[in-house]
Amino acid sequence: MKAKLGVSALVLLFLGGLWLVAAPFVVGYQPRGAAYADATVNDLWLGGSIAALSFVSLVIYAADALRELTRRGKHADA
Amino acid sequence: MIRKFVGAVTAALAALAGLWLMIAPFALGTQPETGDWTDATRSEFFTGLGVAVVGLAGTIAFVLAIHADLVARGLVEVRRRVPEPVPEPVPAPAPQASSAELATLLAPLVEALREDLTNTPRSSGDHRPNGKGSLVGVEENR
Repeated sequence: MKAKLGVSALVLLFLGGLWLVAAPFVVGYQPRGAAYADATVNDLWLGGSIAALSFVSLVIYAADALRELTRRGKHADA
Repeated sequence: MIRKFVGAVTAALAALAGLWLMIAPFALGTQPETGDWTDATRSEFFTGLGVAVVGLAGTIAFVLAIHADLVARGLVEVRRRVPEPVPEPVPAPAPQASSAELATLLAPLVEALREDLTNTPRSSGDHRPNGKGSLVGVEENR
């Protein structure tokens, strides 16, 4: 149950990271065609990092869970 | 277990990133010191607040999950509070004889000693041999 809460938090963080990447263009504080503002650069770096990190964590979590399931299946066969 | 650890580290890093997002507009100088917050400041601040809260909640959830895992494996013992034993009521001390009762009990003895001291001539060489005859007998012989 607690781990599920943590996974939900990771999913939310992934979505938040995607929002941070899109925010400068959606909110409109980054004009089109102009050089990136400091706030835009900050948001892109942080949003991309958060999204990537949480995505990798989710993949690791799923892979480890699958590995455990496989191990249990092997023990059940034996 | 390792997946929960990875999740906890990731959530903690995200929480730190959220804190940075909250202060970034002021640290980078994109928010003017006077005047209302700009759209960029508002967006970054509230997004950072959400990321920090969610990251903190995720960290706590994963840490609790790791703890529960360790307890299930028997690697960590859960301390249970043992109720403190209630001290047994100490029985009241036996009532001691009052000084008046003590004086009443000792009065005959004191009287006998006083009489013995006043009636015994100290200057005479008549010493009562030790262990021969009782003191009462010696007194009567005089």
